[in-house]
Amino acid sequence: MNSDRGEMSLIEVEDGQTGIIVSVVGGKNLTKRLADLGLVSGTEIKVIRKALFSGPLQVEVSGSRLVLGRGLASKIMVLSNGRK
Amino acid sequence: MAENNQKINIVLAGQGNAGKSAVFNYLTGLHQHIGNWAGKTIEKREGTLFYKDHTVDVLDLPGIYSLTTYSEEEQISREYIINQQPDFVINIIDSTNLERNLIFTLQLLELGSPLILALNMVDLAKKKGVEVNVGKFQEKLGVPVISTVASRGLGMTRLMDKVIELNGVGKNNHMVPEYGKEIEGCIAELSGLLRNSEYRYPVRWIAIKLLEKDQEITKLIEKSQPEIIDRSVQLTEYLEDIHGHDSSIVIADERIHLVAHIIRETVKFTPRAILSFNEKLDSLTTHKFTGYLLMTVILGGMFLSVFVLGNWISDWLDGVFSSWHSWWESAVGTTFASLLGWSAIESVLALIQIALPYILPFYIILYILEDWGYISRISFLMDNLMHKMGIHGKGCISFVIGFGCNVPGCLSCRIMESKRERFITAVLVTLVPCSAVSVIIFGLVGKYVGLLWAFGLYVFAMVVIFIAGRLSTKVVGGEPVELIMPMPDYKTPHMRTILVQTWDALKEFIYIAAPIVIVSGVVIQAINLAGWMPAISSVLSPITVNWLGLPAITGILLIFGILRKELILVMLAAFLGTANFGEVLTAQQMLTLSVVSMFYIPCVATISVLWNEYGWKRAMAVCVLEILFAIILGGIVSRLLNFVF
Repeated sequence: MNSDRGEMSLIEVEDGQTGIIVSVVGGKNLTKRLADLGLVSGTEIKVIRKALFSGPLQVEVSGSRLVLGRGLASKIMVLSNGRK
Repeated sequence: MAENNQKINIVLAGQGNAGKSAVFNYLTGLHQHIGNWAGKTIEKREGTLFYKDHTVDVLDLPGIYSLTTYSEEEQISREYIINQQPDFVINIIDSTNLERNLIFTLQLLELGSPLILALNMVDLAKKKGVEVNVGKFQEKLGVPVISTVASRGLGMTRLMDKVIELNGVGKNNHMVPEYGKEIEGCIAELSGLLRNSEYRYPVRWIAIKLLEKDQEITKLIEKSQPEIIDRSVQLTEYLEDIHGHDSSIVIADERIHLVAHIIRETVKFTPRAILSFNEKLDSLTTHKFTGYLLMTVILGGMFLSVFVLGNWISDWLDGVFSSWHSWWESAVGTTFASLLGWSAIESVLALIQIALPYILPFYIILYILEDWGYISRISFLMDNLMHKMGIHGKGCISFVIGFGCNVPGCLSCRIMESKRERFITAVLVTLVPCSAVSVIIFGLVGKYVGLLWAFGLYVFAMVVIFIAGRLSTKVVGGEPVELIMPMPDYKTPHMRTILVQTWDALKEFIYIAAPIVIVSGVVIQAINLAGWMPAISSVLSPITVNWLGLPAITGILLIFGILRKELILVMLAAFLGTANFGEVLTAQQMLTLSVVSMFYIPCVATISVLWNEYGWKRAMAVCVLEILFAIILGGIVSRLLNFVF
């Protein structure tokens, strides 16, 4: 499971798995918005679950839970480090 | 001795879900005033507290994530803190989400405002294994810190005692957040350049904002000292070279590191291995299958109980009010003036008849669901569908409310982040069949054509809303804002908070709706008494009779229906002289009339909200569009039904 340690978008991370944020591919406003919520590169992020029909993602970052729209989540690149 | 009756101004600042409303409601109780920020569709909540010979004015700032100008709320908040110079800024912190909340606290410290921290929800944090060493925490930040559980009122007196104790005392020895060396170097240089200029803002704060490339501050400084901007551009480029990403992110990064450092030194975490009840409930209510099932059950149960209960109370009120009517006629007579007078009274009674049976229980249930934490789950589950209509998951809440009554539905669009989102959502909400429309659907179609047909009409309405959403995205243009929303933990609903919220919402409904409802009620009655109604119905007959295939009388009904949609049904009975509609209308006519009633125009109360929030031009545009749409649609439906009946 841990063999694949490549960079991927957050939506490719399976439910229950964590990753380290590498970068945010997007405009300055979006990056800043996420940074204010604690989502910057180097932060560990856990995908709790994804909603049905390619809906939003429920994630956990440093103990707090957030819901991120799918389009937005697809712009967050992470380094997957498997189940924690 | 303190002087008698001193005035103190405090503002409450904090992120969404930190418990700001609970603190506000606890402090101000019913001494509240709710309005809008000048020129904005953003709620402004103010209140007053009398405490130990002090009059404390409390202002609740909108819940925000940061003090950069991402949204109007954030802009309002920082402008208010800087321009109005409140005596204290109370920063309410959700102790279960310390990291995220403290990032905001650092920004408040940068602003140099006199801060008091309320470490809220410490009980829930403890359950999660988070324990804050308040003494150390206070020492680190250099500001007073009070632990609170606002929903139960714990810590509120200590908080206010602190405010009174510190009032007038020198209070600015708080921590100045210090960042990495190279950033501090840049800040120091810009601060040096700015030192002799006079701005409303603290110098260090301006320097940081320039490095963050804050648009507003950059514009402000550019006007008077363009040379400083030249330098700050060089400095940001230098920072970006070192770090490899945007300077605003560099600084955000620094804040996060500082917060992590503070937390490491002051907070003890005890990991909990077992899945808590909260998490089990969370996974059940957001699950791909059970989540949707539970949502259907919860929302369905809510509508059904409100509808059944509402009809029952409404019927009872009908009896009471009609006895008042006969009393009025026997006491005042049936002159022109007295009939007009009665129609004014009747408009007020009509409002009560919507507010009491439908809106009141609806709001109570809604606020219980919100306080419990369920509403965010609905947004999560519905986000994808909403996206197809050009808005995001939070818009679903306005739809849910709209089923009860379009007025609070439209008002609730304020939770959407951008103007574009707010307007699209509001327009779509006006198409949602409210409880008054449900009275028509069930009273006509449900009773005489069949329940399946009645439910079919709801499905039809949702399809129409969906298509309208897709179209409006094309018309209004722009990209939908992506959903970013904190997912709160479930917690026991707090009755006091819920009742205060319900009361506020009800009051707002009456204030906005009452004037227009009364005036238009009197005007329409005057037209009626002047004997112009038959003329109007014959003018409208090409539409009603020829195109829609309805009796000519419906022209008048549809005009009265603007006041209150269920009047269409009530007056139909009066004009036709029977409440057994099966005898006088065909199934096809009932379905057509229901479809037209659903969409043809928002009721006056809803129009007044649209007017209030989006200006009269947009309100009128929506009305005209919906009238045209309903007429065209009604005619098509009527012709299609020819094949069925």
